[in-house]
Amino acid sequence: MAQIFDRSSNALARMSLVLTGLIVIALGVTLDGLQRSPWVTRQGQRPDQPVPFSHKHHVQGLGLQCQYCHVTVEKSSYAGIPPTKTCMNCHAQIWTNASLLEPVRHSWATGESLVWTKVHDLPDYVYFNHSVHVNKGIGCSSCHGRVDLMPLMYQQNTLQMEWCLNCHRNPAKNLRPVSQIYNMAWEGPSSQKPVWCAVNGEQADKPTAQSVDCVTRDPAKNGTQVASLSLDAVRLPGMGAVSAQAGAGAVIPAQLSYTKFTSQEDLGRFLVDHYKIRKPNELSSCEVCHR
Amino acid sequence: MSSEAGKSNMQQDPNGNGMTAVAEANAGLTLAEVRERLKGVKGKKYWRSIDELAGTPEFEAAVAKEFPDQASEWIDPVSRRGFMKLMGASMALAGLAGCTKQPEEPIYPYVKAPEDLILGKPNYFATAMPFPTGGVPLLVKSDAYRPIKVDGNPDHSYNQGSSDVFSQGSLMDMYDPDRSQRATVRGNVADWADFYEAYREKLLASKGNGGEGLYFLTSAITSPTLERQWSEAQKAYPKAKLVQYEPALAGTAFAKGFNPQYSLDKADVIVSIDADFLSGAAYPGFHKLVRDYAKRRKLADGDRTMNRLYAIESTPTTTGMKAEHRLVLRASEIPAFAADLAAAVGGNGASPSGYSWTEEQTKFLNALAKDLKASGGKSVVIPGLYQDPSVSFFAQGINVALGNVGKTVAYGTVAGQASPSDQVADLKSLVADLNAGKVDWLIMLNTNPLYDAPADLEFKSAMNNAKMTVHLGLLPGETGAEAIWHLPAAHYLESWSDVRSYDGTVSIVQPLIEPLYGGRTTHDFFQAMLDEPMVSAYEAVRATWKADLSKGGDFEQNWRKALHAGWIDGTAYTPGTTPTALAAAKAPQPVSKDTFEIIFRPDTNVYDGRYANVGWLQELPRPITSLSWDNAALVSAATLTKLGVEEGDILEITANGRKVKTPVLVAPGHPENSATLYLGYGRQEGRVAGGAGFDAYLLRTSDALHYTTGTVKKVDGKWGLAVTKSHYQDHRGKLAGGRGDGNYSLEWNEADIRGVIRAATLEEFKADPNFANQDTDERSIDHKDATLFPNWQYNGNAWGMSIDMNSCTGCNACIVSCYAENNIAVVGKQQVRIGRNMQWLRIDTYFEGDLSAPRAHFQPMMCQHCENAPCEEVCPVGATVHTPEGLNTMVYNRCVGTRYCSNNCPYKVRRFNYLLYSDFETESLKLMRNPDVSVRSRGVMEKCSYCVQRIQEVKITADKENRAIKDGEIVTACQQACPSQAITFGNINDPGSRVKKLRDDSRSYSLLADINTRPRTKYVAEVLNPNSELAEAPVEHAG
Repeated sequence: MAQIFDRSSNALARMSLVLTGLIVIALGVTLDGLQRSPWVTRQGQRPDQPVPFSHKHHVQGLGLQCQYCHVTVEKSSYAGIPPTKTCMNCHAQIWTNASLLEPVRHSWATGESLVWTKVHDLPDYVYFNHSVHVNKGIGCSSCHGRVDLMPLMYQQNTLQMEWCLNCHRNPAKNLRPVSQIYNMAWEGPSSQKPVWCAVNGEQADKPTAQSVDCVTRDPAKNGTQVASLSLDAVRLPGMGAVSAQAGAGAVIPAQLSYTKFTSQEDLGRFLVDHYKIRKPNELSSCEVCHR
Repeated sequence: MSSEAGKSNMQQDPNGNGMTAVAEANAGLTLAEVRERLKGVKGKKYWRSIDELAGTPEFEAAVAKEFPDQASEWIDPVSRRGFMKLMGASMALAGLAGCTKQPEEPIYPYVKAPEDLILGKPNYFATAMPFPTGGVPLLVKSDAYRPIKVDGNPDHSYNQGSSDVFSQGSLMDMYDPDRSQRATVRGNVADWADFYEAYREKLLASKGNGGEGLYFLTSAITSPTLERQWSEAQKAYPKAKLVQYEPALAGTAFAKGFNPQYSLDKADVIVSIDADFLSGAAYPGFHKLVRDYAKRRKLADGDRTMNRLYAIESTPTTTGMKAEHRLVLRASEIPAFAADLAAAVGGNGASPSGYSWTEEQTKFLNALAKDLKASGGKSVVIPGLYQDPSVSFFAQGINVALGNVGKTVAYGTVAGQASPSDQVADLKSLVADLNAGKVDWLIMLNTNPLYDAPADLEFKSAMNNAKMTVHLGLLPGETGAEAIWHLPAAHYLESWSDVRSYDGTVSIVQPLIEPLYGGRTTHDFFQAMLDEPMVSAYEAVRATWKADLSKGGDFEQNWRKALHAGWIDGTAYTPGTTPTALAAAKAPQPVSKDTFEIIFRPDTNVYDGRYANVGWLQELPRPITSLSWDNAALVSAATLTKLGVEEGDILEITANGRKVKTPVLVAPGHPENSATLYLGYGRQEGRVAGGAGFDAYLLRTSDALHYTTGTVKKVDGKWGLAVTKSHYQDHRGKLAGGRGDGNYSLEWNEADIRGVIRAATLEEFKADPNFANQDTDERSIDHKDATLFPNWQYNGNAWGMSIDMNSCTGCNACIVSCYAENNIAVVGKQQVRIGRNMQWLRIDTYFEGDLSAPRAHFQPMMCQHCENAPCEEVCPVGATVHTPEGLNTMVYNRCVGTRYCSNNCPYKVRRFNYLLYSDFETESLKLMRNPDVSVRSRGVMEKCSYCVQRIQEVKITADKENRAIKDGEIVTACQQACPSQAITFGNINDPGSRVKKLRDDSRSYSLLADINTRPRTKYVAEVLNPNSELAEAPVEHAG
């Protein structure tokens, strides 16, 4: 009786076993890659928007402060998308006939919302809170990238859970003084650009933003530049050194003992202590983001 | 009913239809034998449902299964082959499912943002819920101007932040997708403008004859502004008539203006004569009465005094079950008992009724009279609403005789409603006028007489004699379908009004949202009759209070202050000391004991039927019976035997020549030869209300609104009732040391031997403050070190809860609050019947004693957040894990639905989302959801989270402000709603926290501590204060 299978089928059978294994592995690797790919995460994608709004022009070019539009970033979980009124504050005066702004004027005239497409879109089961991040020393650019250099808005990071945990497990590497939260170009201290920080009356019920005073110029010399998260402490150039604690009795910064930081690691550790950042096991506990 | 009946015949009902099981066993076990078995059982005996009490094989079988029958099986039988196919396909798709992309989401920003809105931060607005028994002051949480949670106003002196099932459920009432969305005339879509045109024309035409032929039928007027508008309208149209009709209150002394103010915090002895003041807002002053009652039962800080509650009642209620001494009487015996009690303490110069009481009843009467006389000035007698007027008369007489007036009770200048009236007489004369053809226009405002008017008035045929009928209502209902005009009403959360609460304080009702469907209110109808017809309800309310709010300052400023606070200062009643002038009454002679009595009561969940379409309230298991989704004729076990029926059988009840068919259910502690019918069911329309229960209004006549007599007989058919009682039994049964004879009851084992319920009398407690933990040694010891691993150290916050069993009255407010806070799904009757209800919190009712005279212990039961959680050990995917602060948290996205956790939970508090229970489709319900809590989909386990979203919110605020969380800053939803303040939540690592103090109390105990779960929820054991003369309550009752 003739053999059904030829001897060569042995090789074929072995090969197909190996191939099956390879295919399974390849499929796994592909799916894994796919899951992290910009196609899924939408990193770098610039969705069509009703108005091609340029953050670069408004932030870098005109010097608008982030909070001019994103007003609730310090108070609420949402940073806030500006109402049409915010656009019209200026565009009722300038570029009043620009065709690009037609949707804005339409919205203003009819009372219908501008319909933007969400760029940074977390899943619905994730409860992210902007306010606690900006109040505890995580700057806008840490998550959103150099928005001031983006002509059209896109998502810089994956916003996937592993990316969140990366920081929640070691917040020190991204912490910055709250005075630098809105500084898009912040790169962390280095020996060329050191940061001086001092504990400024660390007492209970005093918001984090006021408990530590950080400056980017040597406080021993004159012309200390102190910025602060709280609006009442924002001052014009040339006002000289005023405590961040405006209105709550002047504490002269010179009396504070400043420590000089030249590396992000040291600064991060200092800020973790003085901003009372929760421990990594608390920060990476499930209920922090999922309810 | 027919399809329902067919189904029930085929499948054996596993869930607590006790008598079904008992009788179907047919092992010769009759009710008589059940009682026989119970005889001779010594000591405390706890049980939760009747079949358990009897220790039947069926019950043993039911508990042997971890879940109730079918709960873990598929509804559609799928063959093994089909199953493999499905599984194969889903395995193949499983990997791909993870790769789906999120859809793009649009953002709709405001065009002009409201000034005070911070998106993501809720606003809170003070308002009040108008309710026939008095307004409930509220503080409503609003997210982006959508009301999403209703709670009591914490600053208001009347309810101090507490609420009840009705006010909690009213939120869903507003978002009810079945609400009327447009005006209709003869069934055709119309406009409000069309109606106004016709209405004004009519008003103009009637001006000449003083409004003759113009009739208004409204629900009780509770708004002072509405009362003012009506009195002005009456001046303009002196012949127009107003009839108020409130089906639950018509014929009560309260509706006629008898509204005593009780101060239970000053009372040592409280006597309820058929007054159910502990179970819900159906009793006027519920929130204050419960709080004051519970205040005297806390035994905190070494206080060793407490009040004593006597209840004489004709149907089992939580008030009776909480009472130290409860006397069951037939409804018609109660006036005679009140008369004899009055005679015994010398009130009203009453003479004894001459009715012959049994030995036990006489003993109760004498002991009660003695106790009352001994505590003159520190006692209070509360008469029931649904009783003969003589009961109120005698109760007032007793309070006067005992010198309670001005101390524990105030009468006089108080009035319950804005304009009390004799509702029954008014309604009767309206029907007479209708039949005489005197009615041109009949305008029915927020009322549904075709459904709830007394049956003998034949309102439907009478109504058709009117030339024009107009109906304003949230839902069309029976009346809206029949009336010529039906107009959508605005919900109280959508409209301006004002209302008085029990203590008289006026609250402004302010809208939380624009009317969803262009609804209007009664204010607009009355205003249209005045010189300035277009004045809005807002302007009308301001006009009413202009004078009051202009005192001591600027009106605008005071108005804003009143709106912000939620009440108008100085409007509370002055406690009067002059007793209300009540007509001297004589107690009617009780009917013969052989006559079958029928008692009508507004329902504890849907009231008079107005909340019948609210899913939360329909699914809520009622106190005592644990019945959800239906009403039933409640009878005692002895009556059931006498009638020769089983639970779920259909009875035909005949009264006054009218008949109704109803399923029957046993209520422990019901008087013999009588049945209680709860009103508000038997609706045809509504996606929730339709088809649930039977209509008891069909039997209710204007001469006997509260109880009557009739006959019953069994008819063919079965009705599957959804009773949640035995759903959460654990797998122990005989293995746990049961004796296997008829005297063994699992619950006895649970409650007594395992120490689930721990209770003592005040004397026992004084002698041994550690009674809850002492002699019970083994079961109280948590074996903290019985582990190879080092125990986790909780150094920072450690969340914990304490529940005071002494304060809990089982009113269910916490459960509805939990529904709203945590986006809990409503599953429907059939799913409840197979044990799939989703409530994260339930109230376990443990009965103690025998069938006819039990006492109940109410135990709120939710996730205990065990430090040593058994559920976490068995989860294969880490979907339930512990947080560093000791929460046992669920990660819904990790859950794959193995349900191992629920199997391993000794408290049976986990809920599995078997089908797609959450409504992701209905638009109006989307607005209602709490945005801080995930809406869970199918295949996911869920359970109480200690309101983790509230914890996180407070933690973030505190972290930003660099401070520790204050005690009392985090309030869970159940705690917030609780009118008796039975629930306390906080940080058990904070030595100054209230929860720490309560947990350290000698009466505090952990449930099932001996299995070393170390729960974070602890219970404070109950202490009762019985009268020593009545201490040895007879074990067996006659009948």
